[in-house]
Amino acid sequence: MACYFDEHDCEPLGEGQQPNHLLHLARLLIDSGVAAQDTEMDFESLFPGADGKPPPASKNVVENLPVIRITEGQVARNVKCPVCLGEYREGERAKELPCKHNFHPKCILPWLKKTNSCPLCRHELPTDDEQYEEFKKQKARAKQREQDIETLHSSMYG
Amino acid sequence: MANIAVQRIKREFKEVVKSEEVAECHIQVELVNDSFTELKGQIAGPPDTPYEGATFNLEIKIPETYPFNPPKVKFLTAIWHPNISSVTGAICLDILKDQWAAAMTLRTVLLSLQALLAAAEPDDPQDAVVAKQYKENHPIFLKTARHWANIYAGGTIREDDYDNRVIQLKNMGFDPHKARVALSTHNWNVERAMEHILNY
Repeated sequence: MACYFDEHDCEPLGEGQQPNHLLHLARLLIDSGVAAQDTEMDFESLFPGADGKPPPASKNVVENLPVIRITEGQVARNVKCPVCLGEYREGERAKELPCKHNFHPKCILPWLKKTNSCPLCRHELPTDDEQYEEFKKQKARAKQREQDIETLHSSMYG
Repeated sequence: MANIAVQRIKREFKEVVKSEEVAECHIQVELVNDSFTELKGQIAGPPDTPYEGATFNLEIKIPETYPFNPPKVKFLTAIWHPNISSVTGAICLDILKDQWAAAMTLRTVLLSLQALLAAAEPDDPQDAVVAKQYKENHPIFLKTARHWANIYAGGTIREDDYDNRVIQLKNMGFDPHKARVALSTHNWNVERAMEHILNY
């Protein structure tokens, strides 16, 4: 049997930790559709801080970004760092994001201190901001719910 | 200005100057001063829009922190568009605010502005008066935008009845630009436009 906490996608409270009642209430309202249908209320207005504006990338993730060496082939193809638009030199180090886009460390690090996405394709890195991560999960859940309803409809009338 | 910003602008400048869009006279960038902090942009009004045939000048200011922060851009040429202030030229476009990404360039900004002229977002307006007209009186919006493009930006299509109403108010001693703003605001009703000018 699946563990209670896995099934509900949450973790047990730590010693002395209080449950976030407001968060649970918000989730309940949104998941039940009450918020969307009957009021103007949505996640953003319940959490003024979580306006969907992305926070910096997680420090830990940024520190552990893989470093690659620029190859002869890349230099021959005049590959540039998309931030400074300078051409790479052979053997130069570049930081690679999970989307495989690479940048000079001095170009990408200031950007990831400001926001959490690839400057080229907007692929999102994890953040250290719990509210934002919750907001992202919420958006994913809403999308999943829409898909479920769509599947249900097409199975009935399709 | 920070070294990276200057270097970037120099490189971008070359890119825009060489790009196809410049060759086809759709977009253009010029330096205003030697320090690369201020530039002048130009975009052509896209085809099949009220702005077709017109040319719009833009003020582009490069912040110290560029390209980590977006350039500050506004219209110098007066324009009638829901996402651009008809008074100040301020622009409401997500990529110039929170959707900016460090890999975007002057070229992509100018092309995005051109796309904005072709596809307004009236639900996220900069100029509420224009946005209301766009949604509620679309044919009048199109004519008004064409008239402004003709008067201020070298657009070739004249709207004779609108010209005549501006002249009518001008002959009564009103400033033509103020008259045009008032008429545009009040869907070209001459009496309401006069009231508007006299009350403000």
